[in-house]
Amino acid sequence: MSVSMVIGYHVSVPKFNPNKSKLRWKERCSGVTCCNARGGELRARNEKNYYELLGVSVDANMQEIKKAYRKLQKKYHPDIAGQQGHEYTLKLNEAYKVLMREDLRKEYDALFGRMRVQFGRNASSLGYSSWKGPLRPEALFVDENVCIGCRECVQHASNTFVMDEAMGCARVKVQYGDSDENIEVSVDSCPVNCIHWVDREELAVLEFLIQPQPIKGYGVFGGGWERPANVFMAAKAFNKQLKEQTAAENKQRNGQSSVEEESPAQAKARANASMEIKMGKFSRIWKFFEQVF
Amino acid sequence: MHIAGSGTFALLLHSLSFSTVGEGMAEPAYTVASDSETTGEEKSSPAFPEIAIGIDIGTSQCSIAIWNGSQIELLKNTRNQKMMRSYVTFKDEVPSGGVSNQLSHEHDMLSGAAIFNMKRLIGRVDTDPVVHASKSLPFLVQTLDIGVRPFIAALVNNVWRSTTPEEVLAIFLVELRAMAETQLKRPIRNVVLTIPVSFSRFQLTRIERACAMAGLHVLRLMPEPTAVALLYAQQQQQTVHENMGSGSEKIALIFNMGAGYCDVALSATAGGVSQIKGLAGSAIGGEDLLQNMMRHLLPDIESRFANHGINEIKSMGLLRVATQDAIHKLSTQTSVQIDVDLGNGSKICKVVNSEEFEEVNQKIFEKCEKLIIQCLHDAKVEIEDITDVILVGGCSFIPKIRNLVKGICKKEALYDGMIPLEAAVRGAALEGAVASGISDPFGNLDLLTIQATPLGIGIRADGNNFVPIIPRNTTMPARKDLVFTTVRDNQTEALIIVYEGEGQKVEENHLLGYFKITGIPPAPKGVPEINVCMDIDASNVLRVLAGVILPGSPHPAIPVMEVRLPTVDDGHGWCAEALHKTYGSTLDLETVQKKI
Repeated sequence: MSVSMVIGYHVSVPKFNPNKSKLRWKERCSGVTCCNARGGELRARNEKNYYELLGVSVDANMQEIKKAYRKLQKKYHPDIAGQQGHEYTLKLNEAYKVLMREDLRKEYDALFGRMRVQFGRNASSLGYSSWKGPLRPEALFVDENVCIGCRECVQHASNTFVMDEAMGCARVKVQYGDSDENIEVSVDSCPVNCIHWVDREELAVLEFLIQPQPIKGYGVFGGGWERPANVFMAAKAFNKQLKEQTAAENKQRNGQSSVEEESPAQAKARANASMEIKMGKFSRIWKFFEQVF
Repeated sequence: MHIAGSGTFALLLHSLSFSTVGEGMAEPAYTVASDSETTGEEKSSPAFPEIAIGIDIGTSQCSIAIWNGSQIELLKNTRNQKMMRSYVTFKDEVPSGGVSNQLSHEHDMLSGAAIFNMKRLIGRVDTDPVVHASKSLPFLVQTLDIGVRPFIAALVNNVWRSTTPEEVLAIFLVELRAMAETQLKRPIRNVVLTIPVSFSRFQLTRIERACAMAGLHVLRLMPEPTAVALLYAQQQQQTVHENMGSGSEKIALIFNMGAGYCDVALSATAGGVSQIKGLAGSAIGGEDLLQNMMRHLLPDIESRFANHGINEIKSMGLLRVATQDAIHKLSTQTSVQIDVDLGNGSKICKVVNSEEFEEVNQKIFEKCEKLIIQCLHDAKVEIEDITDVILVGGCSFIPKIRNLVKGICKKEALYDGMIPLEAAVRGAALEGAVASGISDPFGNLDLLTIQATPLGIGIRADGNNFVPIIPRNTTMPARKDLVFTTVRDNQTEALIIVYEGEGQKVEENHLLGYFKITGIPPAPKGVPEINVCMDIDASNVLRVLAGVILPGSPHPAIPVMEVRLPTVDDGHGWCAEALHKTYGSTLDLETVQKKI
């Protein structure tokens, strides 16, 4: 007779998190913060983002998100998992609400400076070229701002270049995918000279920057996608900024100038890893670009 | 049956004596621990986990169902009835309800000795129009119109014996429980009850209280259409199993109209998961149709029955039975002859056709339409996307209702896979099995309902306005917060008054409770941030947390308050007024405009 009628709920005195200017409270039983529901603030980096939470890819469509959400609900909903599922389900609901609404999702993507196209994890996927054979000091890069989509290069070296039909321009699929001769021909055949030989170190940054980024709109104004008008200038500024940050953060790595000793796989992994780390800073850098260009 | 019955009656009388002692006190005595609770809420503890039973307490009829291990089974009473009339008669020493009692005639129920329609009365104050509409019932419903609970009494040996809707419901539930225990040969503790969408949280506490008085632990209170949605989800999953087709999403509109309430829900179903996208409901139902019709037949009905004398009760009962009969007949025929002798020389001889019936009740039908449209709008569902339209409840037999729903949804046919009067209780039985952690080898219980909040919850701020913090149709469990600030310089206290509903002004909503934040550090108005956070868990428990923070300070200025709601007891209509009288606007809050 003395026990409460509704499922026992042991909630400790909520605490305020001193690190946040916003008011938050914690429950000891669950150890999860009360997230501010309005408009998705940037959460701590170690927290899962909505896509990871739902286990969907960044470019997942509504159907995939719905399916994933239902699947997870069936596992974690408090009706099934008991009270422990409460906090997790709250997050699922929030993630689902945001990702299912086009406007909220756009806002969320922009806030994270996140690309719809997944970055880094699998370099061979959209937008990033892979290497055939050993790494060489120079790499091919198509400036998609200039490319007119003539398909000349794809015809001459179909293993190296590929047409992005959505964008209407060519891009490098595999570095040195064809014989040097064929590549030479295709570079020369370009009527607008948009195929460049670039330093291998620069390639990753260029390929990242050439991809359109969602931009934050204000009401009905703005929104959509954009990329720097001059990708080479942008890359320079970007590299400079990266270097400064690296210098400040890690002096040891700064001294390590020669990367030649690394195996291709190691190099790739390292590049990906460092990109991954820098990812979070992109949104800030992006603002910097807006001012420069 | 008799032995078990008397045993539980002893228990009932015990708890009733409790209720008279406890009257006016806060809630403590009526709590019942479930077995699973005492063992720390472990899902996989016993070899045979107790399956919660599903109960659908309708305004006029009631039924009980359970998952028997392979399918849903409706329990029958000793007279082989699946549907039992919801009423309690106070004729003899021991009150008896519609489960076991044999009515010699329908008029017995209308002699004033029986209390029915308790679902329309429970948790309502005497200023509520629904309570006023109940004044024409044969038993006594008295109102003082000041916002306290109405006085309800049954006529026993020419004495008006007072009772409460909770007590009546508890007596009825005890009978139901005894019946189920005898048939299942085990004690029953956990139940899943279906409730109308429009029930406020305060009304839910009254239902819980009645259950506790009857020795039942409420596992879930499920809005009726969501129970139907769960049943639909199970049926869809079964057909998928059979056809091995793809589990594509199906959108169902569920319209449930019984004697007391009308509810609408939209659910998206796929793979056994029924996600509630929108809910809407109102306290309109067959009872209103009946009363409108009675008024149509006897225009001076109000003045005639104002005295509530014995003869008047009797003639009122006669009219009621005749009208009810006529309405039932109008479902299958276009006109009906009403012939009733009301005694004292007045007779009603009339032919009523369905046009008349529809015209008299036009407002009710319009309200039904409004509810459906509102629900569609809230759920952001287009009519073309609806896969199935499900019509359940007693009023689903009325041709006008069927046409109206079909018309709005632009459908030729309605979903025919359910028995309209059994759908809700079957859904409740499914939920009972699922929430008890039962699994079925054939995947028939591989189900889940993702509920949504039927009403918005918020606090009073910006003057007399209701500021919702958790809006209507938010997916549960839910947690939202909003920042408020003080309205005057050096304001050290603030009153948090929590309401539930949809009205712009607080008076239009249900009061759930209130508490005061004290010790706000003196600061100019608009500076302290008062964060109010609301949390609803899957079992629908609402907690409100309120904390104060000064800009620049990382720590809360005072300990955070945490309150479980609702806290109000009866007479809450008074509370709001008393608060206003005592404090005026001195402890007000206003919302903080979001800075971008």
